[in-house]
Amino acid sequence: MPDGDMAGLLSDGQLDALSGAWNLLPTYLTPHIVLCATALTLGLVISLPLAALITDRPWLRRLVLAFASLIQTIPGLALLALFYPLLLALSALAASFLGFSIPALGFLPTLLALTLYAILPILRNGVVGLNGIDSAVVEAAEGVGMTPWQILMRVRAPLATPVIMAGVRTATVWTIGAATLSTPVGQTSLGNYIFTGLQTENWVSVAFGCVAAAGLALVADLFLGLVETGASERNRKRVVVGIAGLALGTLAGLAPLFSARAVTYTIGAKSFSEQYILADLIGDRLRADGVGVTRKDGLGSSIAFRALAHNDIDAYVDYSGTLWRNVMGRTDTPSREVMLREIAGWMKAKYGVTVLGALGFENAYVLAMKGERARTLNITSIADLARVAPELTIGDDLEFLGRPEWTSLKSVYGLSFKRRRSFNPTMMYHAIETGEADVISAYSSDGRIAALDLIALADPKHAIPSYDALILIAPRRAADKRLKRALAPLIGAIPIEAMRHANLMVDRDIDKASPEEAARALAKAVHLQPR
Amino acid sequence: MTTLPMADSSVSAPRIEIDAVSKSFDGGRSFAVSNVSFDVKQGSLVALVGGSGSGKTTLLKTINRLVEPDAGEIRIDGAPVGEAEPPMLRRSIGYVFQGIGLFPHMRVAENIAVTLRLLGWQTNDIEARVTEMLEMVDLPRDYARRFPHMLSGGQRQRVGVARAIAARPRIVLMDEPFGALDPVTRDNLGSSYRALHEKLGMTTLMVTHDIQEAALMADRIVVMKDGHILANETPHTLMRGSDDADVAALMEVPRRQAERLSALMTESRPVDA
Ligand SMILES: Nc1ncnc2c1ncn2[C@@H]1O[C@H](COP(=O)(O)OP(=O)(O)OP(=O)(O)O)[C@@H](O)[C@H]1O
Ligand SMILES: [Mg+2]
Repeated sequence: MPDGDMAGLLSDGQLDALSGAWNLLPTYLTPHIVLCATALTLGLVISLPLAALITDRPWLRRLVLAFASLIQTIPGLALLALFYPLLLALSALAASFLGFSIPALGFLPTLLALTLYAILPILRNGVVGLNGIDSAVVEAAEGVGMTPWQILMRVRAPLATPVIMAGVRTATVWTIGAATLSTPVGQTSLGNYIFTGLQTENWVSVAFGCVAAAGLALVADLFLGLVETGASERNRKRVVVGIAGLALGTLAGLAPLFSARAVTYTIGAKSFSEQYILADLIGDRLRADGVGVTRKDGLGSSIAFRALAHNDIDAYVDYSGTLWRNVMGRTDTPSREVMLREIAGWMKAKYGVTVLGALGFENAYVLAMKGERARTLNITSIADLARVAPELTIGDDLEFLGRPEWTSLKSVYGLSFKRRRSFNPTMMYHAIETGEADVISAYSSDGRIAALDLIALADPKHAIPSYDALILIAPRRAADKRLKRALAPLIGAIPIEAMRHANLMVDRDIDKASPEEAARALAKAVHLQPR
Repeated sequence: MTTLPMADSSVSAPRIEIDAVSKSFDGGRSFAVSNVSFDVKQGSLVALVGGSGSGKTTLLKTINRLVEPDAGEIRIDGAPVGEAEPPMLRRSIGYVFQGIGLFPHMRVAENIAVTLRLLGWQTNDIEARVTEMLEMVDLPRDYARRFPHMLSGGQRQRVGVARAIAARPRIVLMDEPFGALDPVTRDNLGSSYRALHEKLGMTTLMVTHDIQEAALMADRIVVMKDGHILANETPHTLMRGSDDADVAALMEVPRRQAERLSALMTESRPVDA
């Protein structure tokens, strides 16, 4: 190891990593506990009545237990991933009926998968426990005049409790372990230590995450063990201590949530990576300021602004060109400064919406070429491109060549290409690499521009309006100093390269990061100080 | 829905009519109880005796509907039990299980009080009644807090009897209630039960393997074999002999024992001296 004198077991770097990991504990532990506690509660609420219902019906019992075992054979990560397409479909359905889409990533799929996982051992032990009761005892219960419900509640359930509790313990340990797998589907958990650690080769972080998850499981199991032995030995004190321990532990883990309860802001995001990253960036800053944050994700482009104007969301990022054309209905293309000024005034006057400012980068339609080829052909702008375009092939993403931006480019620069080809977005980038296309349409903040060594050609005649990323604030928060103070440092702070890099982290095929991680990396890269 | 009134010495005890009852557990190939008819008269204590597997338990359970007969009918004071709600019917009938059937997760007090709770008794009344019952079956008061697994077999059996009679039922069905008791306790408990039976005006049907006990406690003895009734007589009549060889053999047992015992007592005297 070149640097860091070995002080004891850990190097300085590792000690830094350790204290970094320690500081993140509340951030990761709280959602982990929320997730597990919710999943287990749901699991209990579903499986106990189900166990009681099917225990006297042998056919149903076999069927349900077989299904539950089937779920168990699916590895946790696969199960989480399976929920993604399912929720996407649901999301699309909901979007067309309700206008809002259900997030296909994050809490919901994780909760569903973990609940399914928690159901299995509780259900199985519930059925085994309820079935395993001496038939003579059940007959005695009938004999003294209990109704079937009374027999269940006063005799069968208490006698089955030790077996059921054993199932609950298994479910708890599984759930706490499996919840670490929720990080790749966008749910923060102790798994964030493990997955980011693996990505950045920060082994201290990986170990910390494993130990934290194991510790949480051990503590939960300890208290559940008290409940279990207390129940089987009819020792009420133990049961009470166990339940109280669980409740207090859960509350302690949730404490950060309650302290943040006072004010809660809702941040909106349209349905692409950059929006998620920026919403996370905004959310992180607000959280660091001690306020609560909720999210409305996957908003349709036109819905997002409406939601803000109606105070359904408190803040989100939109693009000047989009607002200009789609919301304000303008067709002219003034200079960037004029546009920003007019948008701000118009928004305030018409809707009471505050434009806090521009983040510092644009996400515009651009034409991009391989850097090397552009240099060979001596092209830096679209005006240069127009000279050689008749010799070249343009590739688009199935959309651009049908948009007004293209019409405008064609007429302003007199562009005409030898060939036009359409690809899906991934294939389009592939095509420019292999030379199947010489020029492609792209978004200026797409990380693949830098990754593939492409250059975005300048638009000196302003044929396409600028698409500055702007932070918009809802009318009801117009006078909210705290919100403005928390977000002000973001204004002008994000250069295009940083945004591209963050987008790339999320969009690339290998070594993907979650938007949340990308947001943290972005904050670090642009030196945003946590407050 | 018929709810039978609880025992009250001022009301006359109920009558049980068993009318042509049959029960098969194998779809009619064999019968555990086959066309059995007899009455348990108001306030009488009837002993049901017979070999193992002769259908005694099955018959007893048809009375409180733990077993539904395939044919025939049982009436209590003329009302068919088939028309009563089983839980209500069972709360009004004390039942001592052959296998005792205490609830392992309940303390002795809770076991004794279980029917009282179902009937909605007040906590104070329940406590007083539990204490009374423990006294009646001759168990120390502090046993109330024990769990069944902390009791001996005979003690458990006594808790079973206490549970059956705690709610002052007017009908008590007992399936070998004193089988696991030592002779002294057995005799005591038998006598005090008989006294209670008189005092409260109950009607009791009791299964026992002990002919001597049957003869000493019961008003009538019903003898069963292979689901049929062989005899239904007073102990006095039966002890004088029977035409039926099986019944005669059964009744021979206590008489022969009595003879041997008295012989033993007279013969042994010289040895002692
Ligand atoms: N639930 C049942 N299913 C099938 N057969 C049964 C059932 N209960 C009782 N039997 C059968 O019915 C017959 C009568 O049984 P029962 O329990 O009434 O006998 P018993 O006279 O009480 O005998 P014991 O003196 O041994 O207790 C037996 O042959 C028994 O095997
Ligand atoms: Mg029997």
